[in-house]
Amino acid sequence: MKLNLSHHHQLLLNAIVNPGTLVRYNHAEWELLLRLARKVKLLGFLAVELEKRKLLNTIPVRALNQLRSSLIRAKKQQQLAFWELDRINWALKFIQVPIIALKGVAYQLAELPTAEGRFFVDLDILIPKDNLDQVEKTLLKEGWKHREISPYDEHYYRAWSHEIPALIHQERETEIDIHHTISPITSKIKIDSCLLIDAAITTQSGYKTLNPSDMVLHCAVNLFQNNDLVDNLRDLLDLHDQLQYFASQDSSFWDKLIIRANQLRLGCPLYYGMQYSRLIFQTAIPQNTEQHLTQKPSLISQLIMQQLVPLALFPLHPDKASKRARFARFFLYIRSHWIRMPFYLLIPHLLYKTLLRFRPRK
Amino acid sequence: MIVEQIPVDQFVAQLSHSGIRVKLGPVNVRIQTKLPHLAKQLRFLYAYYDLIENEIVDIHTHILPKFSFSNPLSSFIRFTVDGQSPFPPFPADQALAALEWGINLVIAVRTNHLLMFHSAAVERNGSLILLPAWPGSGKTTLCTALIHKGYRLFSDEFGLMDPLSDFFTPIPRLMPLKNQSIQVIRDYLPEAVLGEEIHNTQKGTIAHVRPPRDHVLKTDQVAKAKWIIFPKWTANAPLKLEQLPESEAFLLLASNSFNYEILGESAFKAVTRLIKKCQCYQLVYSDLDSALAMFNKLTDEA
Repeated sequence: MKLNLSHHHQLLLNAIVNPGTLVRYNHAEWELLLRLARKVKLLGFLAVELEKRKLLNTIPVRALNQLRSSLIRAKKQQQLAFWELDRINWALKFIQVPIIALKGVAYQLAELPTAEGRFFVDLDILIPKDNLDQVEKTLLKEGWKHREISPYDEHYYRAWSHEIPALIHQERETEIDIHHTISPITSKIKIDSCLLIDAAITTQSGYKTLNPSDMVLHCAVNLFQNNDLVDNLRDLLDLHDQLQYFASQDSSFWDKLIIRANQLRLGCPLYYGMQYSRLIFQTAIPQNTEQHLTQKPSLISQLIMQQLVPLALFPLHPDKASKRARFARFFLYIRSHWIRMPFYLLIPHLLYKTLLRFRPRK
Repeated sequence: MIVEQIPVDQFVAQLSHSGIRVKLGPVNVRIQTKLPHLAKQLRFLYAYYDLIENEIVDIHTHILPKFSFSNPLSSFIRFTVDGQSPFPPFPADQALAALEWGINLVIAVRTNHLLMFHSAAVERNGSLILLPAWPGSGKTTLCTALIHKGYRLFSDEFGLMDPLSDFFTPIPRLMPLKNQSIQVIRDYLPEAVLGEEIHNTQKGTIAHVRPPRDHVLKTDQVAKAKWIIFPKWTANAPLKLEQLPESEAFLLLASNSFNYEILGESAFKAVTRLIKKCQCYQLVYSDLDSALAMFNKLTDEA
């Protein structure tokens, strides 16, 4: 596989993989880079990478201001998400239920190298499906509430989704997404979330996260199964970061990861995840590792995805978006629904969503 | 080069193609639009802003016509920043209001390297007067009066303080007078330059005051605050200037900031320093003459 990137994609990728070369970017390049990095939520990441290299004071002051502003905001959001995690643990202390942090908060708990500047607004947690009712009722009693959503969305969450409608504490602003599994119920992939919860690990802070293999698998499932990949470059960077970091901590990580993927039957998303992480970020994955996966995408799917995935992951040029990239994004949007819902649910759902776009705004 | 130095045709052409790139104090903004009416307003009201070259633009805005399915006979516009609309469409004749509001919104959301107060700010004799107030307390009107009577404009909306140096930075934007204030300023300051009245906006009728030329040209001259005055216009009230206890001033000022919570500890320390160094007052006034006399007396004593 070869990566063919347009100039603005190259500009962004180079900044991510070689932050040291940013000192040579001219004003026009910086201006474009800042717009692109903002779109894919990587300003905080760039700020931290430059800080680590003691280069923050060598870049143009306007770039510095934007990077610093974003990093300050990212750190505040992180603090709020952690506080919310603390609060729900407090609220649920009398219920014997494992609360497993996912995504942004989990990456910080796992001390992943790029977690420091990572921007996230929600707290995502996983709990056993059997405890869902009890947890929701307790949180509602202790001061959390649901945002108002339409009956259709309510139904969508309750019947088809892998999470319940978001909760938010009445005095605070951080949303909590409570998951009972890691992929929609209607999805073609069926995951036994008990296996994930049983294998969860307790970090030094006392909070739980998925174990390294499962964290990687969740990240891959989220990218290649649950989402349309549009502007998700940051999530692929998360995956790259996890693969590199866990492999450096544990020499048998790759074997464990493959065994676990086969056990959970998550070969397809992991296959894509490893391929694109290596292709785009040159992740040091040993040759042929992914060939040991028992499930792999078909060759024809792989060929089609090759044409589309990079065009969706990388942001559009803010001034002149290419038609090809727009098409790729549309196609992947359809794909994301297609693999998430059976046909008889999908058509009415997309029709409803389309009609909604033409309804007058309130 | 400033906006009024380029020929009108060229200005309009540039706006509709690659956009004009202007320096609004510490933020550089690119504006694109094909709307002829907005181009005319901008050419007049943005006359003194610097056109920038070889510098990074921070905010990229675009005002585009928008078809409304629910209201197909009226014309609407959409404000976008990097292709995204942060708020619903506006009627087309309110394009300038949408642009100004949109730029303020983006500045408020993105700026965290500076502590940002919801405040007017003017300078006299090298020191800054911060005038923090909630919407509707008449800060734009008071600010307009002050800057036409010997005070230098920093902003009618944003008090921008660098928490590392305690210096405030000017950001002289158009100042939107609302409803009755428009006539008040027309009567009181015939020399003030106003844009056309825009009716039926969310805040009623508004008209923008163009910041005077020498104020716009001095946007790089920063200043430290010496006075913090919380103004409140009240009909027929006699002028009253009351010193505020530090604790009360602290609470008022901290809760007035847009990003106090985001900045956290550095904001707490910055507000503390500010309160300790400044004289803090609460001002109730109803007429501009006596208010100006009070401001002059206060700043002369310094």
